[in-house]
This record gives sequence, C-alpha cells and structure tokens, in this order.
Amino acid sequence: MTGWIEALGHFLGRCAETTGYGLVLLCRTILNLPHLFTRRRMRDCLDLIFSYTLGSFTVTAVVALFTGMILALNGGDSLASLGQENLIGRIVAISMIREMGPFMTALILTASLGSGIAAEIGTMKVSEEIDALEIMSISPVKFLVLPRMIALTLVTPVMTIFAAFIGILGASIVAANNFGVTWIAFSNDALENLQLGDVHIGLIKSVVFGVTIATVGATQGLLTRGGATGVGEAARRAVVITFLLVIILGYYLSWWYLS
Amino acid sequence: MIQLENVTKVLSGRAILSELNLSIEEGETLVLLGRSGTGKSVTLRHIVGLMQPDSGRVEVLGQSLTGASMEQLSTIRSQIGYLFQDGALLNWLTIAENVALPLLESHKLPAAEVNNRVSNALREVELDHHGEKLPGEISGGMRKRAGLARALVCDPKIVLHDEPTSGLDPISSSIINRLVNRLKSTGITQVLVTHDMKSAFEVADRIALLHEGRVQALDNVANFRDSNDPAVQQFLEGHISGPLSRGVLDGTPNEDDRNEVS
Ligand SMILES: Nc1ncnc2c1ncn2[C@@H]1O[C@H](COP(=O)(O)OP(=O)(O)OP(=O)(O)O)[C@@H](O)[C@H]1O
Ligand SMILES: [Mg+2]
Repeated sequence: MTGWIEALGHFLGRCAETTGYGLVLLCRTILNLPHLFTRRRMRDCLDLIFSYTLGSFTVTAVVALFTGMILALNGGDSLASLGQENLIGRIVAISMIREMGPFMTALILTASLGSGIAAEIGTMKVSEEIDALEIMSISPVKFLVLPRMIALTLVTPVMTIFAAFIGILGASIVAANNFGVTWIAFSNDALENLQLGDVHIGLIKSVVFGVTIATVGATQGLLTRGGATGVGEAARRAVVITFLLVIILGYYLSWWYLS
Repeated sequence: MIQLENVTKVLSGRAILSELNLSIEEGETLVLLGRSGTGKSVTLRHIVGLMQPDSGRVEVLGQSLTGASMEQLSTIRSQIGYLFQDGALLNWLTIAENVALPLLESHKLPAAEVNNRVSNALREVELDHHGEKLPGEISGGMRKRAGLARALVCDPKIVLHDEPTSGLDPISSSIINRLVNRLKSTGITQVLVTHDMKSAFEVADRIALLHEGRVQALDNVANFRDSNDPAVQQFLEGHISGPLSRGVLDGTPNEDDRNEVS
C-alpha cells in the first residue's frame, strides 16, 4: 500500500518537474527569438520547414481526404434521411476548419515530427552532443530548440489549411457522387455559412498545437536519460503527452471561441 | 591551473567521487587511470562545469566554478577543449562543419579565418581529406580524431581528453600521442583519461590512479611505474585479484557497494 502511494507521489513529482522544465524551455525559446534573425539560424529554420513539410505532406493529404469523405458520408446519410442533404457543405466545412483540420493535423505532426524531435534531441543527449554544445558555449535552446519550434509553428498552420482544403475536397466528391449535391451547391452552402471567426479559431488552434508539439518534443528530448531505450521512451512520451495536451487545449480553445 | 578540493559527487545513490583532491599545474600533462566506472569521466565533467560537486570546490584558471555565473563559465569554457569519449559530433554536419562550429557559433570569426583554422586542425589529426564527409560515413577512430580537431580549433589553454586512443589502431594511437606531446611542448595543460598504458607512459608528466572516488596514487611516470603500491601494481599488471577488486572477489564490500545498499 505504502509502495503504491510512494510510486504515485514519485509519478506526480516527475510530472510537475517535466511540466516546469517544459514551461521554462518555452520561455527561454521565446527570449531567444532575436537570435533567429541571423543567417545561420534562418538557414537552419528554412531547412527544417522544408523537411517537415515534405515529411508530413503525403500522410496529411491521405488522412485529410478520407476524413472529409467519412464526414460527408455519415453527415450526408443522416441529413438525407431528413431530406436536408444540401446542408452537407456547411457541416463539413465548419467542422473541418474549426475542429477536424487542426486536430487531425496536430495528431499527424505529433506522430511524425514531434516524436522525431524528441528522438533526435534525445539521441544527441545520450551521445553527449548536447554537453559538447554547452562546452562550446553554444546554447542548445538557441541552436536546436529555437529553429525547430519556429519551423513547427509555421508548418502546422500551413498543413492545417492544406488538410482542411483537401478534406473539404474529399467531402465534396462524396457529396456529389453519393448524395447528388453539386459542386456549386456544396461550395455555396459552405461559403455562405462559414465565418471568418471559424478560420481564425482554426488557425489559432493550429499555432498553439504547433508550439505544443515542439515544446513537448524538445522537453522530452532534453530530459532523455540512459541510452537507446531512453531515446525510445522519450519519443513515446512525447507522442502520448502531446496527444493529451492537444485534446485538452483543443477543447478549451473551442469553448473559449463559442462562449 | 586546475584544482579539485574535497570534491564529493553522489550519482544515483552512489558516491562516485568522495573527497577527491587533485591539483594540476600549468603546462602539465596528467594522465588519469582507473577501472571502468571509477568516475574518470565524471572528474573531467567537473572540470568543465558540466557537473557541480555536491560538496567541495573546483577551481579552473584561477576561478572557482562553484556558483560561477553563466558568463563566467562561458569564459572559462572558451579556453578549454574537451574530447568526448565518442567524439560527440553533430551527425547532420560534415566533419569540417563540426570543427568549424565553435568558431562560427561562439567566436563569430570571419569565414576565411574559419576555413584556414579548420583545415589546419584537420591536417593536424590527419583528416584533411575527409572534411566533406558526414560523421556517419567515417570510422569511430576517425570520429574521435575529428572530435579532437574540434577541441583544438579554438586554441584552448586546457585540453581534456576522454580516452583519446581507445578503439584506435596502433598507428592512429601514435598520431594522437604525437599530437598530445606536441600540445604539451606548446605549454598547453592537459588531462588525459585512458586505459592505454603505452600511451599513458608516452605522454604523461604525472599519472594519477583513481579508486573508490579518491586519488589512490599520484606520481611521475618513472616513480609510478616502479611503485610498490599494490593497487598500482595490480593495475599495471592487470591482476584479477588485489586491492582494486576489493568487494568483487574477496567478498569485502567496498564503499560503492555499501552506498548502493543503503
Ligand atoms: N549522469 C549520471 N547519472 C547517474 N550516474 C552517472 C552519471 N554519469 C555517470 N554516472 C555513473 O558514475 C559512474 C562513473 O562513471 P564514469 O563515466 O565517470 O566512469 P569512467 O571512470 O569514465 O569509466 P569508463 O572507463 O568506462 O569510461 C558510473 O557508475 C556511472 O554509472
Ligand atoms: Mg569514461
């Protein structure tokens, strides 16, 4: 019994420690923002943006396409039973832009890029590369975390817009093929009912998610201990923690927007 | 130059260093010996401030590292070159870019000067034809030499080598030993951790044997080699039983084991 309580205490202590470390890391990264405007950091950042976009492009497109198609199929089915299938455009557009787009993109980027950042920085940690940077008086925050954070914060909204667009495209195909809603009717309904606020909240979410993915990935990477197993563990934790945070933050951002 | 006074460090519940005292003079090359896991790397990490002692003091270049600010630490570190056990090169940069890194990032030198210094450093470790390769494309021994080039490129006053010749073929070892001796002749202070006795005798001014978190023996090369200390004798001859294997074979618990149990 006492062992159980002790383990719980230990776990909570570790959570608090990691959270604190992550928040401090985020603040330090923000304070290091002026360093971004040097030629070398800019180049690192552009390289990362390029490789992150390339690395997540295909999977985002496929997942977004099918998510849009699934939404249209289910929504259309229910609406058709009420004879309201012409409303399919707004339902798909609003949910893709406000909720599904940011959420789905965040999950994809967490799995593909967040875990990668944790593993990359974690490997550097266990092979003493981070220590080597510190000895050379090169701040790992400035050198490693800053460009990754900026790249992800820019790539996430771009991929989110892309995902929403592809998702809506997929939905319009299903709407036309399965429910006889023409492309014109679909897009008119979508555009008439979509508000600028929906786009704003979608973008705000995607930026928050991007920062979250990078912060958690970098935190887990820098806290890695104990060889190759430690690196695997860091990547796993980064994915799990980011998933939880994305869900929770997503809910509160929606709540804040709707109220 | 480098002063460790009563340094104690506990890691994962074990006292790795206990009241360690070690003093290294300017221009001296000190070789640190000891069995695996006795805290040789930990000692080096204290000298660059990567680890802080639980108690005791570390002084480098006349400055105490305990409680030093980030800037002070950075100034001291800029005069120290550190060769890590596995090179610790960044794997997405080429060898030349790795060596150039401290010059570009912290010293902010002009490109022409950087290129010049990098090619000199690479020539010194005989890697001048491999500058464009990535760390993953060269052998472990070459990576280590590249790490050494990176440690030397900023003209440090102190160089710390963590096992510079382990895993190297005899010829590469000789290249490293020659380089260490050349650095010695320019008056650079060096601390060298090694298991390679040949290289230890070749480069050392003094040799220290670390055991149970303390300096068990410390003397110049000739005296060390002829020492009557049973621990030194055991280490040099590689006997399985003796004072250095206390607790492992004789059943008497040594300090580390006792700490681990409690
Ligand atoms: N960051 C750390 N956290 C916990 N324990 C550590 C840490 N660094 C080192 N140790 C422990 O300290 C002990 C000494 O480690 P160190 O790396 O100094 O050994 P070493 O003398 O360099 O050995 P080797 O010759 O094998 O390199 C080891 O038992 C190691 O497990
Ligand atoms: Mg070691």
